[in-house]
Amino acid sequence: MSEILIKVVINGLLMGGIYALISLGLTLIFGVVRIVNFAHGEFLMLSMYASYWLFQLWGIDPYVSVLIIAPLFFVFGMIVQRGIFQPILNAPEVSKIFAAIGLVMVLQNLALLFWKGDYRAIKTISSGLLIGPEGFMIGLPRFIAFLAAVSIMLGLYFFIKNTYTGKAIRATGQDQGAALLMGINTKRIFLIAFGIGSSCVGIAGCLLMPIYSVFPTVGAYFVLVAFVIVVLGGLGSMLGAFIGGLIIGLVEALSGYFISSTYKEAIYFIIFWFLLIYKPTGLFGSVSQE
Amino acid sequence: MFFKTLFRPQIYIPFLGLTLLILTPVLVKSPFLLHIVIITILYAALGSAWNIIGGYGGQLSLGHTVFFGIGAYTSTLLYLKFGLSPWLGMLLGAFLSMIVAAIVGYPSFRLRGPFFVLSTIAFGEVMHIIAINWRDVTGGSVGLGIQFEPAFKNFIFSTKVPYAYIVIGLLVLILAVVTLMEKSRMGYYLSALRENEDGAKVLGINTARYKLLALMISAFFTSLGGTFYAQYILFIDPYDILTLSLSIDMALVSIIGGIGTIIGPVIGSFFMIPLGEFLRGTLGGAFRGIHLIIYGTILILVVIYMPQGIVEKIRKKYRVLVSKLPGFRPEEILSLRMVPGSHILQTANARSFGEHPTPFLLEVQNLSKYFGGLAAVSCVDFRLRQSEILGLIGPNGAGKTTLFNLICGFYAPDDGQILYKGKNIEGFRPHILCQKGIGRTFQIVKPFGNMSVLDNVIAGAYCRAPKNAIARAKAEEILKFVGLWENRNLIAKSLTLPGKKRLEMAKVLATQPDLILLDEVMAGLNQREISDATVLIKKINEEGITVMVIEHVMSVIMSLCHQIIVLHHGEKIAEGAPEKISNDPKVIEAYLGEEYLIARG
Amino acid sequence: MLEVKGIGVFYGEVQVLWEISLKVGEGEIVSIVGSNAAGKTTTLNTISGILRPTSGEIFFEGIRLDRETPDRIVERGLVQIPEGRRLFPEMTVLENLEIGTYPQRARGKRDQTLKKILDLFPILSDRKKQLASSLSGGQQQMLAIGRGLMAQPRLLMLDEPSLGLAPLIVKKTFEIIKDIRSQGTTILLVEQNVMHSLQIADRGYVLENGRIVLENTGKALLEDKNLKKAYLGN
Repeated sequence: MSEILIKVVINGLLMGGIYALISLGLTLIFGVVRIVNFAHGEFLMLSMYASYWLFQLWGIDPYVSVLIIAPLFFVFGMIVQRGIFQPILNAPEVSKIFAAIGLVMVLQNLALLFWKGDYRAIKTISSGLLIGPEGFMIGLPRFIAFLAAVSIMLGLYFFIKNTYTGKAIRATGQDQGAALLMGINTKRIFLIAFGIGSSCVGIAGCLLMPIYSVFPTVGAYFVLVAFVIVVLGGLGSMLGAFIGGLIIGLVEALSGYFISSTYKEAIYFIIFWFLLIYKPTGLFGSVSQE
Repeated sequence: MFFKTLFRPQIYIPFLGLTLLILTPVLVKSPFLLHIVIITILYAALGSAWNIIGGYGGQLSLGHTVFFGIGAYTSTLLYLKFGLSPWLGMLLGAFLSMIVAAIVGYPSFRLRGPFFVLSTIAFGEVMHIIAINWRDVTGGSVGLGIQFEPAFKNFIFSTKVPYAYIVIGLLVLILAVVTLMEKSRMGYYLSALRENEDGAKVLGINTARYKLLALMISAFFTSLGGTFYAQYILFIDPYDILTLSLSIDMALVSIIGGIGTIIGPVIGSFFMIPLGEFLRGTLGGAFRGIHLIIYGTILILVVIYMPQGIVEKIRKKYRVLVSKLPGFRPEEILSLRMVPGSHILQTANARSFGEHPTPFLLEVQNLSKYFGGLAAVSCVDFRLRQSEILGLIGPNGAGKTTLFNLICGFYAPDDGQILYKGKNIEGFRPHILCQKGIGRTFQIVKPFGNMSVLDNVIAGAYCRAPKNAIARAKAEEILKFVGLWENRNLIAKSLTLPGKKRLEMAKVLATQPDLILLDEVMAGLNQREISDATVLIKKINEEGITVMVIEHVMSVIMSLCHQIIVLHHGEKIAEGAPEKISNDPKVIEAYLGEEYLIARG
Repeated sequence: MLEVKGIGVFYGEVQVLWEISLKVGEGEIVSIVGSNAAGKTTTLNTISGILRPTSGEIFFEGIRLDRETPDRIVERGLVQIPEGRRLFPEMTVLENLEIGTYPQRARGKRDQTLKKILDLFPILSDRKKQLASSLSGGQQQMLAIGRGLMAQPRLLMLDEPSLGLAPLIVKKTFEIIKDIRSQGTTILLVEQNVMHSLQIADRGYVLENGRIVLENTGKALLEDKNLKKAYLGN
């Protein structure tokens, strides 16, 4: 394997870690609340802007702004769940889907309204720094993002596995009616799950900011990647989101290397489409859509 | 006669609306306003086309931009490269869209809910990316411009007025098709499969075929809109015509106006598009995207607070208005050609009786079905004579409904076979079996909730009726027969449980079955309703229909059935006449526990 | 202890329960029997707060319940073990038990209760780490009962615990129910299996088409000729 190829693989995996973090929020919200949050990408876009402005206005490094943005997005997610999705929890699918799409339109264009269509990037202390052995140097921000994404996922896994609230979240996702009979306030669990899911994507936004530019439609790109990952990993599966993220990061990097980066999106959308149709439960999924 | 109907408001109001529409391009002088009119009508047309599959068929596509794009690119490329008239290109594009719809739709329709939506979004995105990157053909992100050479054959005009008439023509064409469709087999079938797919299958509806057909029709008209747009703007690029937001807008006007109604998308776009264009025109400079913020907000509010759309809110007011206008007469109740005598359901048997060599209509041999190693039905044998009523009883979880699902083709047996009229029916899907004369009801009723009672039954009647009028007449007969005639205009979901159970039977009877499988049609009914239903089943049987019935209300089973089969843990534990069954120790044990017998001696 | 006073319940526009009144005294086993779709599960779900009665009242130790949410009702010590077990399939046996102590009142004594339950059902102890979905039907029922007991109920409601179980396991299940009562938990039992459930019951109610048609001690109901009629129609 050539050096370049190894670098491509490493970069793909690093990117996959961030993808996984974004997808984690999406899959958690679906697995528990049974809402496919099409506006998930816009949540990411908002958090990138938040992190951008915290840096521009007060010089807060994106890695520090995680501490502000994570709780902020937890509350934001809860508000969205309470205000938009809770009233239509028992409504037909079309209502849920289009409520989310309405939210996409509002958030995307609010961003356009406030911050115009410009691409905005920031230069932090970490940007441009490289680490690693000679010949295999990788960008420090990517490395940090990967590490942070992995540790957050581990933390969340621990939370879900070991705390009462975490277990209640899993129980609600598996059988809402039974959870209710166990004394679990499922509406409250929905709020918390939506909050955590939003928080994850909020953190992902901060981690992305030193690497990527932000613009109003940045979320549309990432959310489609996240959907590919979530379907690949199996809707509702956290482990699936992680492994799916790494796979898609790799596929993207390799197809960019071997074919052409212009068609890389088309390639994984085609993968996505075949996956949806022929293996809809994904690699680790238990929730079938049929 | 014709003129008389013309003077009724139900007729002349739509005509007035149409006239107004036709006059608009002449009356509106400002090009800016006329542009808004054209765009509004274009969206009304696109929304109406989307509504065929999205609204009537309930398949929420967010990939319709592909068909729009195919229309625009096909006609434009053929015009630019080969000088082919866009009029012809428009038709070619539309046919190409239909083909693409068929290829993509077939696998996608296996998906439901958000997954179907995602697959359509992905499809649209792939096409968007291809269009951007295939520069040699599509011009990539630079786009394609069309030289301004006004001529009819070039589909290019120097003023906006001809464009306005073309797009009005397109809208009227689509609305005419939708109107015709709504009151025909296709419309009933689409609504039925949208409301409940399994419920539709057992009425003999090939749901996959009708979804595909609806998508193809929808794609055809969307594609026409694409060509129109290209010729009107004379410039296309992937960001304008192959983009998710275009797909969303088509769906959005329908949802806000009222999904699955003829006029909904029109109202939705007449409400939303001028508002959007106005906002964009006045505030768009300083506040880009403001109209989309408003669109999104309205969309969210509509799905939360009026999920049926604007149409639902104004329908009542419209009816009141209509009733006050001159010339009003209430809709006449269509005259009923009630067949004299009682043999209403007879046609079914006339069709088939005597053809098959055995006296048994249904023979089940050694039938087994396992779920995860557990035998839900295990080596069950029985035979059912023509015109008999066979009862199927057993405690909860005995495998009764599974047995029905096997007979109706919802499950494939793991072992054994089912002979119907002497022929093995293995591998036949539910809609085929219905067409062959096996009808069933579901334990958990599956009414087409948002359709009227009459329409529910008409959807069933199309199984045998070649024409609309015959289906309707048949449905009306059956509603009288089962005693739902008074409720024929109610929305099905508003019926009480006994009403819904009755409707379930009516729908199946409308398919004119030879064999009808009734799954707990009495559950949840009170004593009087139960005796009514019993009388009804007897009546059905007297018409010559063979009946198989699952029931828990024992008094009914005992008085109704000629033969009874008892299932327990998937096995047949007893079989025979009612008196024999009710004293069979095995049966009592299965129901009340073994000690009951010992204790009672 | 529990008093249901004339409740009526609707599904949408359809009435499914009419004037249901019943009482459960401290330390009793009370059975509700009746054929399929008679309204037994609906009655339990109404007591649990999943469904709201449109008329009537429900009191638990003098406190009115029919306006409270399901989680508050569990918190008061009124726990239902639902029909068909309804375990959390992708959680381990141990996790299923632990989630049983979700109510605040049960959390403090979690380890003690867990030990007690594992003693009661040794088979669960052996399979602690397995996923609930991998258990057999009988084991699943034990786990469902164990999970319910983890909440330290004052009154335990069981919905069709014998459903789909082999005769031997059914017998065992009812013995366990008797044990639970002898350890001080009051029982409200819903069953199709008339014989077993009325034998262990102090009192019983017979539901038919959403109404209570018979009410007596368990023994007397078993002797009642009308009982067989309610089931077999003659």
